[in-house]
Amino acid sequence: MIIQNFNHKMAAHCESGTITSLLNHGGLSITEPLVFGIASGIFFGYFHKMKSFTFPTFIVRNKPGQMRRNIEKRTGVRFKTYDFKDPVKGQQTLDQLLLQNIPTAAQVDFFYMDYVPSWERVHINVHFLVVAGKEDSKYNISDAYFPRMVELDASSLEKGRFAGGNMSPKGFIFHLDKLPADIDYKKAITKGISKACFYMLKIPIPFLGITGMRMFARKVVEWPKFARDTEHLSHEIMKINILLEDQGTGGAGFRFMYATFLQQAASIIDKPELKDLSDELMKIGDGWREISLFSARIGKNRDLGPDKLKMLSEMIYDRADVEEKFFKSLSKAVK
Amino acid sequence: MKENEGFVDYPEQQMILYVEKDDGKFGPMQTGSYLSANYMDDYLFKRRNLEIELREQLVNGDISPVKYYMVLEDLSFSELAARAGIRKSKVRRHIDPKKFGSATTEELGKYAVVFNIPLANLLQIVLIKDNNSFEANLILENKAVKISVDQTVTRNPYVVLTKIEEKHQ
Repeated sequence: MIIQNFNHKMAAHCESGTITSLLNHGGLSITEPLVFGIASGIFFGYFHKMKSFTFPTFIVRNKPGQMRRNIEKRTGVRFKTYDFKDPVKGQQTLDQLLLQNIPTAAQVDFFYMDYVPSWERVHINVHFLVVAGKEDSKYNISDAYFPRMVELDASSLEKGRFAGGNMSPKGFIFHLDKLPADIDYKKAITKGISKACFYMLKIPIPFLGITGMRMFARKVVEWPKFARDTEHLSHEIMKINILLEDQGTGGAGFRFMYATFLQQAASIIDKPELKDLSDELMKIGDGWREISLFSARIGKNRDLGPDKLKMLSEMIYDRADVEEKFFKSLSKAVK
Repeated sequence: MKENEGFVDYPEQQMILYVEKDDGKFGPMQTGSYLSANYMDDYLFKRRNLEIELREQLVNGDISPVKYYMVLEDLSFSELAARAGIRKSKVRRHIDPKKFGSATTEELGKYAVVFNIPLANLLQIVLIKDNNSFEANLILENKAVKISVDQTVTRNPYVVLTKIEEKHQ
């Protein structure tokens, strides 16, 4: 049985897409960029050495789960959340919610989602999807990264929901509980932008925000020493493209989606300067896209000598400079 | 990015890209993955080479089966220990090919869940003859021309049914 009137829709990102989908189903007409922007989704963080990762990496969005919490705080929407120690209880609760026709979002390890081609699957505990029905032992899944609804075995969903490790989902699920009578979009958008600017410009942690971007630029030239061999280095350098483009960002490490948010925000709160800034961010995003394409090209050609990594580093430094200027202007625009 | 610059024809991996439409408005466009469309062969080539290299080390006794899957699935040592719920000191032993034998069946079962493989595959590598060479089924994923391999879990957590059959041409 698939939940009545549930409309599956692709989205750029799994968490903002899942939240948008639940809100739309509940009757709130809101776009994914608006959810992403109000939730201060845009971010940057560089992790040179972390026990959970096999290689240096970076993120371009805020902490998983934060989007939902920020949307609640800033719009008055309420989600009901559950987590579990016992997988049996976790499945029973999910099934009961589905019987009540409640589409329910779940946090899973992407690796066990066997509707995904195996070459795309990686162990990452922070993938979000909507469970929108169940037939026998298969769940109907609305995954924002897929053009259509898919089916997933109950055992695979359980493995994904109860995977251990860093940011373990612990069976976490949530659904829409309450929509507010009215949303103060001006306040929500302004708060979302101010907080994003704080994270990018002022957060006092050296590997986050613009300083994190500069750390990435400085450290990327050291990547060869972490690699097993040239093919491994090539794979990791090409992953820059995946993290910026393919891993659910809407392109250019979320910059294109955030530009769309600013364009929509400009008309909603009648602030034309946001429109100019959205045009500027779209151009900044084109620069990130050049980094993606450059990484893919040098990775494919195994052209990974110090000169090429230096060029890559300079391209990232350049993005840090233009984004610092951009976020300062954005911060001023909403003061 | 303009709409016409962003479109990639690759139905196998679709995604949403935010672009500038003809009327100047920014919005979503469904498109294919640029990376997969242009570089999939290279990715598969590297993955196949890595599997061959690790398999060679495995059959020579230079690495343990736990290490083989840990590297293939890009898991760090700490992450594997946390996911399997096995103490780091024990995982360290199980990574060592000489001490792998100290792992209990229960511990192997925990690794198998993390790696999403039948427990039996920690003690065997299924190879299929494709064209003129034997390739790991893990890499081929039933893309071999003549043979398909299906491993079905059973209600007994220690037993997997491995069905090998000729593909109908």
